[in-house]
Amino acid sequence: MDILFPNCDDYVTLVFGNDPVTPPRRAVLSVAAVRFGRTPRNPPAVVAIAIAAATLAALLAGCGSSSPEPVARSIRTIGAHPDITVEEVTGGHLSVQQEAAIAMERTKNPGPGGDLQPLHAEDFVKPVAEYRRYSEREAKAVQRHVESLQGDIAAGDVGAAKRDWLDAYDHYLRLGAAYGALGTLDEQIDGNSGRLPDGVHDPDFTGLHRIEMGLWTGEPTAGLRSPAAYLARRVAHLQVAVRRIAISPLTYATRAHEILEDAQRDMLSGVDAPWSGAGLRATVDSLAATEFVVRTLKPLLNGRGSTVEPVENELARFRAVVDSVRREHGGAWPALGALTQCQRERVDGSLGALLQRLDDVPGALEVKRTKPYPTIAEQRRERQ
Amino acid sequence: MSEIDRRSFLKRAGGVGLGGIAAGYGLGAATTANASESEAEMAGRVNAAELADRRDFDGVHQAGILPPAASFATFLALDSICGGRAELMGALQTISSRARELTRGGAFPVEEYDAPPADSGTLGPVIAPDGLTVTIAFGASLFDGRYGLAARKPAHLTAMSAFPHDDLDPARTGGDVLLQIAAGHQDTVAHAVRELARPVRAELAPRWTMAGAVGAQRGPSPHSSRRNHFGFRDGTSDPDVTDPKVMDRLVWAERGGAEPAWTADGTYQVVRTIRMHVEFWDRVGLHEQEEMIGRKRDTGAPLGGTGEFENPRFDLDPRGERIALDAHIRLANPREPATIDQRILRRAWNYSQGLDPAGQLDVGLLFVAFNQNIQRQFTAIQERLNNEPMIDYVTPEGGGYFFAPAAARHPSDWVGSPLFA
Repeated sequence: MDILFPNCDDYVTLVFGNDPVTPPRRAVLSVAAVRFGRTPRNPPAVVAIAIAAATLAALLAGCGSSSPEPVARSIRTIGAHPDITVEEVTGGHLSVQQEAAIAMERTKNPGPGGDLQPLHAEDFVKPVAEYRRYSEREAKAVQRHVESLQGDIAAGDVGAAKRDWLDAYDHYLRLGAAYGALGTLDEQIDGNSGRLPDGVHDPDFTGLHRIEMGLWTGEPTAGLRSPAAYLARRVAHLQVAVRRIAISPLTYATRAHEILEDAQRDMLSGVDAPWSGAGLRATVDSLAATEFVVRTLKPLLNGRGSTVEPVENELARFRAVVDSVRREHGGAWPALGALTQCQRERVDGSLGALLQRLDDVPGALEVKRTKPYPTIAEQRRERQ
Repeated sequence: MSEIDRRSFLKRAGGVGLGGIAAGYGLGAATTANASESEAEMAGRVNAAELADRRDFDGVHQAGILPPAASFATFLALDSICGGRAELMGALQTISSRARELTRGGAFPVEEYDAPPADSGTLGPVIAPDGLTVTIAFGASLFDGRYGLAARKPAHLTAMSAFPHDDLDPARTGGDVLLQIAAGHQDTVAHAVRELARPVRAELAPRWTMAGAVGAQRGPSPHSSRRNHFGFRDGTSDPDVTDPKVMDRLVWAERGGAEPAWTADGTYQVVRTIRMHVEFWDRVGLHEQEEMIGRKRDTGAPLGGTGEFENPRFDLDPRGERIALDAHIRLANPREPATIDQRILRRAWNYSQGLDPAGQLDVGLLFVAFNQNIQRQFTAIQERLNNEPMIDYVTPEGGGYFFAPAAARHPSDWVGSPLFA
C-alpha cells in the first residue's frame, strides 16, 4: 500500500496494490476497514480497527476537514450499583477490570481459546543477534561522524560541524533498541540538561547536546573542542558496549513499541534536541530502528494473532507521511519549527496510530504466562 | 488589619475611595442602593449550601494544610522585586489582609462609578467564602542576601534540585513566595488569584502559576480517594491529620534544635508539577499498570486485597510475589519501622493545560507534600522512587521547596510576621 500526499489540502490518492483509487471519504473508510481487517477474532478488535480506519480516513482526507461518520458501537448497561447506571461502550459487556480478571483466571487454567502459548527464550536468539550486528554497524557510524565532528570543530567549520553532528545523532538514535541498556554511557553521550541540578550550566552537561547547544547558538568553536574530545572518548566505547549488552526477550519485544514512544515524548515534542530542531529527523531515525526490530521479530510474530500486518501497515503509512513532509520541504528534513500545522498534525496523528498498533507486539511475544499473584489471605495462611 | 494598612491596601488597589469593604456581610454590614434584592438577602442566597463553608484565615496553623484537598487549587509563585525589607513586609502584610477578606467573604459596593472597581466582580457583588484557603509559603531564594534574612532560613529549606529523571524548567521552578489558593469552585479560586496579585504588582512579580482540580467523589464510600489521570486512586495511605501527635511528628516544624524559633507551627511544602504521558499510559495493559502501582485500578485495594484502605501487608510478601518489590506503593511507603518517620502529608490536584508541541495532552499531577523535614521525608522517598518502572510515563517539570509558616494569630497579624520580628 502506498499513500501519497501530493499537497496538504489537495485530494489524496490511495494505491492498494496496483489499483489507484480516489474514492469519496465514506468509501475510503470501508476500503481501509476491509484492507486492515484481517478477519479479526473478537468484536472489540473490529471496533478498534474500524476506529483506526476512521482515523486513517480523516487523516488521508487532509487537515481541517470534517470528521468521518462516527463508528457504531454497541452500548450496553451493566449492573454496578442500584442507583447508578453504567454504560459500556467498548463493544463487550464486561468492564476492563472484569476482562482482566477473566484473563487472569484463564492463565491459571489455560484451555482451548485461552492465551497464546508462550514463546521460548531461545526463539529470540536469532533476532537479537541480527539486531546486535545492526547496532554495531550503527555504533561504528556514530564513531566515524563524531571523529569528523571533532575535526570540523578544530577547524572552526561550523557548517560541516552541524552536518556531522546531525549524522552522528542520526546513527546514535538508530541504535534504538540499545539505548535503554547503555546506562551511564548513554547519559554521557546523549544526556539532556533538564536532569542536572544546574541545567545547561552544569559541569556534567556534556556530550552531543552540549555541542548542539554551542553549534546552534553561535558559540565560538574553540569552546567546543573539549566537549568534542570528551564525546569522542565516550563514543569510542560504544561499539564494545553495544556488543556486550544483555538483551532479554521481554526487553527486545518491548523495544519494538517503546523506541517510538520515546521519540514521541522526547523528540517530536522538541525536548531532546531543542537547539537544532532535529526532532523530526530524530523521529525518523527511531522509525528506522523500529522497522529493523520489527523485521527481525516478524518470523516470531507470524501466526500469533493478527499483529504483524496492522503493524506493518502503520509503519508503512508513517514512513509515507514523513517522506511526503520531507518532499514538501524540498527533500531535506525540516526543523520542527518549520512544519506547518497541517504537517505537524499528519506526523503526530500517524505516529499516534502507529504506536497504538505497536503496543500489541510485546503482548504477542510473551515468553511466560502472566503469573497470577496470591491474595493477602493466602499469604497469611501460608505463614501460619 | 489596622486602618492604616487597609488604606494603604486600597490605595494600591487602584485609588478607589472605598469607605468600607464589608466583612461578615451576613450580619448586614454594607449597603448598596442599586441592588434589586437587599444585600442581606443576597448574602443569604450565596451563603446557602456549598458556598457557605468558611475557613478562618487566622489561627495556629495555616488553614489550607490539613484539610482534604479542596476541589480546585491554583498555585501562584511570585518573585520579590522589592527594593528593601520594609517594602517586602508591606507586600506580605497586604497579601494576608486581602486573603483574610477573601476567605471571610463580603460585599464590594461600587462607590465611584467612573473609577476601576475595587473588585473584579467575577463572583458578583457579594463574595461567598466557598471554603477558600490561601496558604502562603516562602522559597529558599527569599533567604538570600537581599532582605537580611539569610541567618533566619529554615534549617531544611533548599532550592529544589533535579532528581535523575526530572526535566525541570527553571521558569516553572522555585519562587520567593508561593500562594496555594484553594476553594470549592473554580471561579472562587480564579477570582482570588486575580485579587491577590493586584495590590502587590510593584512588589511581587508572578513567576509561574498552575491550576488543578480533584475528581468528583464517585464512591464507593465518602472517603474513597479520588483518581488521578492514570485512573488510579491518589493519596490512599495519608497519615491521620486528626491526630495532633502524628502531625507533630510528621508535619509541623521541629521545636528547637537547628530550626529558628520563628518557624514554630509552620511546615515544609514540596510542590512538584508532574507531567503524565497519558497517551503512552493508555497503551499499557491493565495488569502491567497495576503491577507498577501495586494496587487494583478499580477499587484501589492493594494487589491481593479487597478494600482501598486495607494494609498491603508487605511483611507477608518479602519476595514481591504479590506486590512487586519496585511497585510504587511499596517504594513510596514501605511501612517498616525505619520509614514511619518518612511519611508525608500528601495532597494532589490533576492539571490539564492544553497540548504539548507534539500534539499530546499536557496533563499531570500537581503534587504537594507537607512534611517536617524535606530531607528526612520527601527526599528519602523520592530517592527510593528514582528508578520505579512508572518513571517512563511521567516527567517532573517544575515546582519547588517552600516553607509555610504559622498562620496569622489574629486579624491584625500577618503570615510571616515572626520572620521579620
